Amino acid sequence: MGEPVITAEEVFFSYDGVPVIENASFSVAEREFLAIIGPNGSGKSTLVKLMLGLLRPDSGKIRIFGKAPQKISHCFGYVPQDVAINRSFPISVIDVVLMGRLRHRGSSRIRDRDRKAAAASLEQMGMAGYENRKIDDLSGGQRERVFIARALTTDPDILILDEPTASVDTGGQAELYSLLQELNRTKTIIIVSHDLMVMSSSVTAVACVNRQVYYHDQGEITQDMLDMGYQCPVELIAHGQPHRILKTHEDES
Amino acid sequence: MIEALQFEFMRNALFAGLFASLICGVIGTFVVVNRLVFLTGGIAHAAYGGIGTALFFGIPYIFGTLGFSLGAALIMTAVTMRTPERSDTFIGVLWAVGMAIGIILIDLSPGYNVDLMSYLFGSILAVPAGDVWWMTAMGAVTLAVTIYFYRDMIAISYDVEFARLRGVPVNLLYFLFMALVAVSIVFIIRVVGLILVIALLSIPPYIAEKYAKSLGAMMVIAVILSAVFNITGLWVAYMLDLTSGASIILVAAAGFFISLAIDLLISRRRKRAVARSRTENAPACGCGL
Repeated sequence: MGEPVITAEEVFFSYDGVPVIENASFSVAEREFLAIIGPNGSGKSTLVKLMLGLLRPDSGKIRIFGKAPQKISHCFGYVPQDVAINRSFPISVIDVVLMGRLRHRGSSRIRDRDRKAAAASLEQMGMAGYENRKIDDLSGGQRERVFIARALTTDPDILILDEPTASVDTGGQAELYSLLQELNRTKTIIIVSHDLMVMSSSVTAVACVNRQVYYHDQGEITQDMLDMGYQCPVELIAHGQPHRILKTHEDES
Repeated sequence: MIEALQFEFMRNALFAGLFASLICGVIGTFVVVNRLVFLTGGIAHAAYGGIGTALFFGIPYIFGTLGFSLGAALIMTAVTMRTPERSDTFIGVLWAVGMAIGIILIDLSPGYNVDLMSYLFGSILAVPAGDVWWMTAMGAVTLAVTIYFYRDMIAISYDVEFARLRGVPVNLLYFLFMALVAVSIVFIIRVVGLILVIALLSIPPYIAEKYAKSLGAMMVIAVILSAVFNITGLWVAYMLDLTSGASIILVAAAGFFISLAIDLLISRRRKRAVARSRTENAPACGCGL
């Protein structure tokens, strides 16, 4: 693990006066596989959008490679939550993936090499041959793969996936995780999930979010596990899931 | 219909209808996929304020309507971006205010009163050749902008956050497209009336969306459908001696309801097919699980 790619310093954010993120400070190391967990409405997606620069903090600082997120947003490959939005929109698989090449090296045109890059990402995600299918005709898991292919087409340093397993069955989830593990060799990966069952051994750090952000990296897991019990919000403790996850984690390693 | 084309007014009406179809099919696709039909209706109605203003101050009609529709488009788009969840109320208010201003200013203007009906339903049979040229130019501009920004338009309409991350100037392009909508509306209202504009902007793209595999295909299908509605409507109006604008709208509406009926039939047939295959394959107890 090298220098931090993402640093947050005392970040606060609120929607209409309601605090969503409070005093978040953490740093994400290079090629980390970070899982952001927390109950629904805990601010996970907000935290991701702050990192992406889609939202600006009320106060505090977020830096990506030492720069403001808006200046460096092309470094991100983003897979949004709920890829089922806009279902009736007439768009083919290849057109979705080609979005990832928009403004690639400043150009608004799509060239042959962009099409090749898009086809390669689809192939990597096991979706070759689906180029001209309408996105609406695919299953949830297939759509998820197309959206990951779109994110990969941007050639990102950091891959951020917001609830990627929501529409994928268990078998598909295992496949997805082995694929992410593969990608993790060259990229920092951040994955948001409230479904803690899906965490795999590839996760190297966990950020527990409930307005505040508790960052645990794997090296100190045993100690952190205890800490987490006190720091994590009641909802999570009630589920008992974070502990189970981390235990599974420990067993495997 | 063919012999009718020897009249210049009939040829102009046909060309006006076809160019309106081109503009409406392309712009309407953007409007429908972004769910901006209500906003577009608001712009069209608010433009009525421009007619009153032009009459009252004695300025050319086109400057009045352009000013009002562009102004309304700008404000409505800004509000929609800021507070999307309550923008419909705001649009409704501006819609009414624009029309009220128009009517009051016409009241206050000396001399004759503008006929509201011709503004609502247009007078496609009275289109002068000069207006057809204007619409040709507008059609060319619309096509050029759409082709140049095609990929950006897809990204903004489909996934605006992703577009923003890719560095697409989302707000700027959004205002550009809405300005294009506003200007198109002004030119088309002049010939076909604002109710026909809203019908042509929404009905053909709505039908096209179900059969298109891409935004471009949706535009092409919408343009063709819109042209068919226009020609058929004109023909009906000519044969039965009816108001042309209203005839075109009713033809388009018939197309709309026929497409809904076809959808219903297809989904019923699919359901029946699924049910049949279930009963054939199901075990004796009938629980098809």
